[in-house]
Amino acid sequence: MENNLENFGSSAHEEAKTINSGDPSVREEKVDVKREEEAEKKVVNSEDLDKRDEEPQEEEKKEEPKEEEKKEELKEEEKKEEPKQEEENKEEPKQEEEKEEPKQEEKKEEPKEEENKEETKEEEKEEPKEEEKKEEETEKTEETDETEETPIVPATPPSLEKVSEDIDQFLMILHENNEAKENKNTTLEIPNCIRIFLYLVEEKMVKYDSNEVKWGEKTEEDAVFLECVSRISKLMKHFFDYYEAHQQEEEREDDKKKVKGKTDFMINGIGVIQQRVMSFLEEEFRLLMEEPRNQHKQDAKGKQHVAESSESEPPAETVIEYPGYTEETITNLSNIAKAMIEGGYENECCQVYAISRRHAFEDAMHHILGYDKISIDEVQRMPWESLEREIPTWINTWKECTSVWFPGEKRLAASVLAEVANTATSLYGILSRGILIPLLNFAESIAMTKRAGEKLFKLLDMYEALRDVVPNMDILFPNEIVSEMKAETTSAKCRLGEAAVLIFCDLENSIKSETGKTPVAGGAVHPLTRYIMNYLRLACEYKDTLEEVFKEHSKIERADSTSRPRYSDDGNKPKNPNNNNNNNSNKQKEDESPFAAQLMRVMELLDSNLEGKAKLYREVALSCIFMMNNGRYIVQKIKGSAEIYDVMGETWCRKRSTELRTYHKNYQVETWSKILSYLSPKGLSDNGKVPKPVLKERFKSFNAAFEEIHKTQSLWVVSDEQLQSELRVSISALVIPAYRSFLGRFSQYLDPGRQTEKYIKYQAEDVENYIDELFDGNPHGRR
Amino acid sequence: MPATTENNQGSFLGRISIRRNQVLSMDGSHEQEIEDLELFQKHVGDRFSELLSSTTSDDSSGDALLSIAWLRRLLDELLCCEAEFKAVVLMGRDPSQIAKPPLDKVLPEFLDRVVKSLDVCNAVTLGLDAVRNLQRLAEIVVTALDVAPLGDGQVRRAKKALSALVAAMLHEDNVGTKGTERTRSFGRRAGNNNKTTAPIRSLSSTMARNWSAAKQIHSMMSNLAAPRGAESSGLAQPIYIMSTVLVFIMWTLIAAIPCQERNGFGTHFPLPRQFTWAQPMIALQEKIAEEWKKKEKKGNVGLLEEMHRMEKLAQSLIEFADSFQFPAETDRLDEVKKQVAELGEICKKMDQGLEPLQQQIREVFHRVVRSRTEFLVVLDQAGKLSTPTV
Repeated sequence: MENNLENFGSSAHEEAKTINSGDPSVREEKVDVKREEEAEKKVVNSEDLDKRDEEPQEEEKKEEPKEEEKKEELKEEEKKEEPKQEEENKEEPKQEEEKEEPKQEEKKEEPKEEENKEETKEEEKEEPKEEEKKEEETEKTEETDETEETPIVPATPPSLEKVSEDIDQFLMILHENNEAKENKNTTLEIPNCIRIFLYLVEEKMVKYDSNEVKWGEKTEEDAVFLECVSRISKLMKHFFDYYEAHQQEEEREDDKKKVKGKTDFMINGIGVIQQRVMSFLEEEFRLLMEEPRNQHKQDAKGKQHVAESSESEPPAETVIEYPGYTEETITNLSNIAKAMIEGGYENECCQVYAISRRHAFEDAMHHILGYDKISIDEVQRMPWESLEREIPTWINTWKECTSVWFPGEKRLAASVLAEVANTATSLYGILSRGILIPLLNFAESIAMTKRAGEKLFKLLDMYEALRDVVPNMDILFPNEIVSEMKAETTSAKCRLGEAAVLIFCDLENSIKSETGKTPVAGGAVHPLTRYIMNYLRLACEYKDTLEEVFKEHSKIERADSTSRPRYSDDGNKPKNPNNNNNNNSNKQKEDESPFAAQLMRVMELLDSNLEGKAKLYREVALSCIFMMNNGRYIVQKIKGSAEIYDVMGETWCRKRSTELRTYHKNYQVETWSKILSYLSPKGLSDNGKVPKPVLKERFKSFNAAFEEIHKTQSLWVVSDEQLQSELRVSISALVIPAYRSFLGRFSQYLDPGRQTEKYIKYQAEDVENYIDELFDGNPHGRR
Repeated sequence: MPATTENNQGSFLGRISIRRNQVLSMDGSHEQEIEDLELFQKHVGDRFSELLSSTTSDDSSGDALLSIAWLRRLLDELLCCEAEFKAVVLMGRDPSQIAKPPLDKVLPEFLDRVVKSLDVCNAVTLGLDAVRNLQRLAEIVVTALDVAPLGDGQVRRAKKALSALVAAMLHEDNVGTKGTERTRSFGRRAGNNNKTTAPIRSLSSTMARNWSAAKQIHSMMSNLAAPRGAESSGLAQPIYIMSTVLVFIMWTLIAAIPCQERNGFGTHFPLPRQFTWAQPMIALQEKIAEEWKKKEKKGNVGLLEEMHRMEKLAQSLIEFADSFQFPAETDRLDEVKKQVAELGEICKKMDQGLEPLQQQIREVFHRVVRSRTEFLVVLDQAGKLSTPTV
């Protein structure tokens, strides 16, 4: 590194070559300056300045440079300035300026005697030619010199500002010349200001490197530095262009070879500084890029790194919008990016950008959203309970990424890499694609798991999350990947949809496979009914989605000729004549809504399954109660959910209610017609007389039958309170008036006292009370 | 973009259904079946011997073993085999045939392998991202060195990228195991001026934690045994062939492309020597295993041909950079120019090939998912399994 300065300082010389060959080990150190070396470097720098310092006086000593060790490097300068001075003595102020400047840091140096001597020899040889050339170029130099002529307070070091102006001027002229194509045949004049400029930039660089100045602390200083970097880039570009343009020509002209060498060394010198500066910027860029992530790391890990890394940034008190860069940082990043891109370091810049963002994004997914990747294979083996917990996290991650994070990344790329909009877009595209596809893989892997009824709802949640993003994708993603991202998302969505349809259709199987032969005690609601109805009620909360999924899927089914026809009628026979009408309307519905059709099918299967189960009861009355219980449960559930009611329709519900009334009637007939016959006056009036034995028999039979009914049917279960009371009321209305009138009419025929007590065990009120104990599911002891 | 299979499906099914009708119209369907099986075996053998011969042919028309172009051909073969396999085993078949022994065991095992192969596809996709990272580093090298006059600055720039490149080649592979902790760079600001040790970090996204390519391929290989006796003439045979093809291709991908956790990646691959169709696969497997063993010792990011060449060039360019002095010697410079040009050529190949390769892997992913579903539907129909296994 120490050589840097010498390289450019003496860049117009072959001298650098000798220095280099004499001191190759130093070269090895290259870009990365160790702090320890910096001090040394400074010495060298000042050394160089010293030489420059003495330069003016050297003019006379030119002929015998060997005596003046260490001054040789300046020859080059002289060479340059010589002609100028010869022609017009305008160079003077500048020289002075240079002379004065370094005195502050004057330090002594002794090395490189040998080398210097050699250099000087060479220099001497080439000098005349140099001069010739310079003369040829007077026109150009004149301009430059004039600008440098601006009065400068003597005894002040050349300010960066001033030198920068010179450089700008130089660049401008070059530019103008280029525009006019004037310099085609001219060789390049390398103004002295370049050398000083490079020196000053390096000095600044050293300050940054040694932490004397920190990046981001003084915006103005950074800005000045970046401007310098930009000048370096422009110089570099110019010299490369120049080199290219003059290469052949110079090869032809032998005498110009030296100039070529001179230019080469200048290019090398600028290149070295440029690389050093760019390397520094790259590192700063990286640190800035990682800022949000580092802050975040600190949060997670206790404040172990806080001290240095975030010192320059005020702790974020307010929550900064994703991705967590302050305005200031973004400006900073964008400035650095601009400088790097201008210098042809776009690849480095983008590389750092891409890697930082990819890691930051994935880290944030993990730390902020709690999202962990799970392999597809593992998903298949995980128990549902664990998987179930992962799904809301996934949905949240998906939504957050697609609604906030991706747009945030898009903005970030666009503002940081504003100079190269296309690259910014493509980097964002690569990032979002790399995040999106693994996320979708999780959806695919969930869709692949073993089907189970309880999974339906989570699958539909995921389906909806995917579906809702697809329409936004045109805005969300760059054109090049929109269709791919849409296709990927749609594919995952379809897999989930298919799985949902299959799961829903599995309800059929779960009904069909429910073939238990043990009747539910007391004719209560069958667990299957409860399960199916609750399931359907939940499913119908997703009604619209299910409708959509079924429509999608039936399309796929139609396209896929190899699969079985899912909606074909196999076991779907009408149960009773009433159904015929309904079947027709079902058919119509099926056309417009495969989901409704599937739901209908499930209901019909459930009905026929329940009918089969009803037959398991030995008592017809109990099977009626069973059917009423289940029927009522179903109707209540359907009426309780607007969505499912919509699907099933009013007609269907009315039909169910009619069916229920039929069961009710059947029950009454089954249970109570016999007992009512005991209370009939028929056969009790034998020519106006009441035959007492028959009467006694009637009372005995009634009592026995009623007790039996009470005993068994109070064990029966009607859990729906309304149905229970309806039943009791209807029984009471049937039995009480009949009993009351029977009592009123015939109790007088029994002897009061023991006989009455023996045969009239129940008053009408007692009967009513006993009726109210029916369908409780509890054994009621007889009084 | 081949992502959705629906479209592909259409044309594919079209082909199949014609075939199915033919099968159904044949009376001697058993003979037809045997013929189909033989044809399938023959095609598999033919496809792989083509792949093999392209690596041995001396002329430049062939694709080098494990080059991007070769891997793309390999994946093409997978897609073809898969389509034909489905035609032979699945299409137009009475579901009950598929559900009876030994298929009731062999088929779920196959489907299990299919699921595992999906993870390999995803890991390889991530690995290709890492390869692209290498490509970008190499591009920096090319940009830096492809200038005249070549100065110290450019050489240093190239050296930096080269070091990162070589380091990434060594470590890309192991990042998964180290978790998310990556080189932090507080160093310099904290006072130790160690910029030199902060390389461009590698770009490795990980699969799930603890996921291991080596374990995955190992479990795909387990229970992979050729059907014996009477079974060998039935449908168990094509299922076995397809399993072998699938496992072989996944094994090759893992060997070629950076993958999370390859410790214990076995080079031994039990391929059936008694079958003609397996011969070219065996030859390929031996070649790849040999390559693997050669590189295993010194840390290996993958056998991808382009990467391999890139590494050699990088090593040589690092040597050049280390000894570089301005101005450069013309002889050395010419040599470097050639190497830089070759590196640029590789970058170009990667630039053109990696993305299509990635998309092809994605296509394999979707295709394989799709056929798995189709198999499950048929198994469902067979009623032997009321719910899908796996």
